[in-house]
Parts: sequence; structure tokens; C-alpha cells
Amino acid sequence: MKHSHALALATLVFLFTGVALGPVRRWWRNREVVEIRARMPERGGFSPKALTVPAGTPVRLRLVSDDVVHGFAIGGQDAPVVDLYPGKPVEVTLTFDRPGTYTFYCTRWCGPNHWRMRGTITVEGPTTPEPTSPPPLYVQLGLDIDAPHEATVVPQERPRAFRGQRWASRIPPEMQTVEYVRTHAPEEVWLTLRALPATADLDDQQVWDLVAYLWRQATSREALAEGARLYAQQCAACHGEAGQGDGPFAPQQVTMPDFTDPAWSFGASPALWQGKVLRGGMGTTMPSWGLIFTEEQTWAVVDYLWTFSMDLEPGFPSTVP
Amino acid sequence: MRNFGEWRWGIGLVVAVLVLGLPVPQPQAKPQERVFRVTARQFAFEPPVLQVNPGDRVVIELRSSDVVHGLYVEGYDVEAVAEPGQPDRIVFVADRPGTYRLRCSVTCGDLHPFMGGKLRVGRNPWLWKGAALALWGVTLALFAARPRTREGGR
Repeated sequence: MKHSHALALATLVFLFTGVALGPVRRWWRNREVVEIRARMPERGGFSPKALTVPAGTPVRLRLVSDDVVHGFAIGGQDAPVVDLYPGKPVEVTLTFDRPGTYTFYCTRWCGPNHWRMRGTITVEGPTTPEPTSPPPLYVQLGLDIDAPHEATVVPQERPRAFRGQRWASRIPPEMQTVEYVRTHAPEEVWLTLRALPATADLDDQQVWDLVAYLWRQATSREALAEGARLYAQQCAACHGEAGQGDGPFAPQQVTMPDFTDPAWSFGASPALWQGKVLRGGMGTTMPSWGLIFTEEQTWAVVDYLWTFSMDLEPGFPSTVP
Repeated sequence: MRNFGEWRWGIGLVVAVLVLGLPVPQPQAKPQERVFRVTARQFAFEPPVLQVNPGDRVVIELRSSDVVHGLYVEGYDVEAVAEPGQPDRIVFVADRPGTYRLRCSVTCGDLHPFMGGKLRVGRNPWLWKGAALALWGVTLALFAARPRTREGGR
């Protein structure tokens, strides 16, 4: 009798251990997995919104959508963009080598406030070797990016880079640099070129074509293509596919800029536009892209924006696929 | 009358099978390209019904006016996905007559399962066949299925 009691007890203990082992094993396996749940921004966005991870060690993230389709990407990183479908959790493993703060953001238009859906990952390390990147160009130049920048002289028709190429030798070499173009507004460049004796025999429109030629020289086909892709993904919902500020999410309370309007475009330098992209704000719902785009990406977007007001390259601005 | 009485159910069945098997005449219009600019919003397509003739080349340009939406054509197995500012287009030849459901294929919100539309290719054969079958059934009921007891049976 005693023997059978002990046997029954042993069997019970064995069974309960077995039953309990499953959850314990699962907990042990997933103890290092950080779960990030994604909801529409009206319902809270990402949760948690802030993570702290050590540098150099792989971080396992489990991404779950609780309502609609969301996306997950990390600003300034080459890590692939992940689509999050409800009911299909995704696991990603990320390793951050450099300490600092990284921004993760939603990549699919999940709701009217989609662009607010962001979070941060703070990477802590033993040392903090801050990479000393120079401040953005608009800060170096001390530009007030909120000041009005209406152009006083505008061309009769769209400036065309391929026409300007014919008289390219008239442009002084010091103007034919990327730095010069990025720090000057088309209007200033036109006034400078117009005042040169070398352009005395050209009419006003031909000088505008020279401006477009300079702008084309300061970019590349690849940059324009990347800019077009980013513009469609991130900007067109408000600024419109054709850059006229008529996208479905354009805020009703503010006057949206019309990138095709030379009076608005030609009074500002690329540096000023980059400042607007980097910082955002402007008292509107314009998000700040400095945390998300890389330096090259911001310039690609700015280069692409000029194609709304000038003919720089055939095929740009790109419209419906 | 006696023979018809013996075979009436058999004849009824044969005619019913014929009705189901015969092709429904389709409009014999020359195939052409039809472009639809469909706007998707929460939770509807505009226009909700697309009507084409069999053999037409169908171009659907999908635009979204709020969040990410998809347009999936059942039966043709083609899909477009559009985000605001990023339209998409699908091209296919509507070579199968019938009415096919359009569904939003991207979970876009709470009422996403109810977001749909229709693609009508020519006449819907099953609707016409069903109507003909119903008519035949009524005819059969009125003229063939008379009660036996009347006039002392057959």
C-alpha cells in the first residue's frame, strides 16, 4: 500500500513537471525577445515606444500588428523594411554597433496619423565615441528656414537643362560645383549669370536654361531616381504626386507649397530645402526627416524636388507608374 | 398524354441539364481597352462596380485617398496595392464572363472585411441560367405536375 502511494505520488509529480515544463521552456527561449506591438497611432502607435539595448549584442525583436498593416524600419540604417500584417508576427534580429539613439518608424500608411508613428532605440555602450558629423548646411550658413523666400524674377517657361548645356562654357568654373549650387537659390544664380558679360548675347530664358544646367550638374540620375522613390513613399501623400500640394492628406488649415510654382521654388537654395526636410515643423504637420533619412537621401529628395519646376533629366518628375 | 405522364420528370431533368449546360449568349462587341480609375478609401471602392465586355483589356488604376489599400480581383487572381501618393495599376484581359468580387487585400481598418466591389464581365451566365431554371421549374409545376386524383387518374 505504501509502495503504491509513493508510486502514484511520483507519477503525479512527473506529470505536473511535464505540464509545467512547456511554458517554462517557452519562457526560457523567449526571455531575450523584446516584443513590440504596433497599433494605429490613434490607438497608441508602437508599444513600447522606447527601448534600451546594449551595443554590439544581437537584439531579438518580435513585431506584432494588432490592427492593420504596419511597417517597421530604422532611420538611417540599411536594415530591410519589414511589413507587419495582423496575425503574422515577425522576428528580426538587429545588432547595433555604435551607441546612440536610433529612430524606428512605421513605413505603411496605416491611418491619418501614420507619420506620427515612431519610437526610439537607445543603444548604450561602454564608450560613447560620438561621430562628429558637421552640422547640416543650413545651420552652417545660418539660414532662417522659416523666412519667406518668394522669388522676384521668374522664368517665362520651365528652365531646361539640356538647352542650357549648349552655352555651358559661359559659366565660370567656380560656379560649376555642387557646393555652389547647394548654397544658392536659382534666382541668385540667374542674377549672377545675367550680370556676366559672357551671357550678354543670351536672352533671359536662355540664362534660366543655364541655371537648370548647373542644377543638373549638381545631381545624378541615380540620385533623382532615389529621390523620386522616397518622395512617392514619404512625401506625396501630402505634397501630391505632382508636387502641387494636393495630396489626400494635405492639411486643410495651411497653404501647401506648390513645388511647380517658380515664385515659390526659385527664391530658396537647396540648403534651405534640405533644412526644411531635416527639421520639419514649420508650424504644420510636416514630420522631421533628419532622424530617418540619411544625408544622401535628404539630398536625393531635395534634388528631386527641383524637377517639379525645371527639366533636369528626361523621365523626371516621375508620374503614375 | 399518358407517355408524357410517365416521362415528365425525366424530360424535366433533361431540360434542366440542358439549361445549365448551354452557353449564355454574350454581347459580341469588339474587344477594347477599358481604363478604370478606382479610388479606394475606408471602406469602399469608387466606382464599386466595373462593367466590361468579355475579351476587353481591363486597366485598373488604383489610388488611395487615405490609408494603404489593395484591390484583388477574385477569379482573375490579380492584385494592386496603393498607398496615398503611390498609385498602382493592373492590366488583364477579361476573358471569362461572369461577375467577380473585388476585395481589399490589405487590412486597412476595422471594417476592412466589408470593403469590396464587383467586376462584371458581360452577362453573368449563372444568373441567366438560374433564372431560366426557375422559369422551367415553374412551368413544370404548372403544367406537368397535376394531381393524379383529378378525372380519376390516368
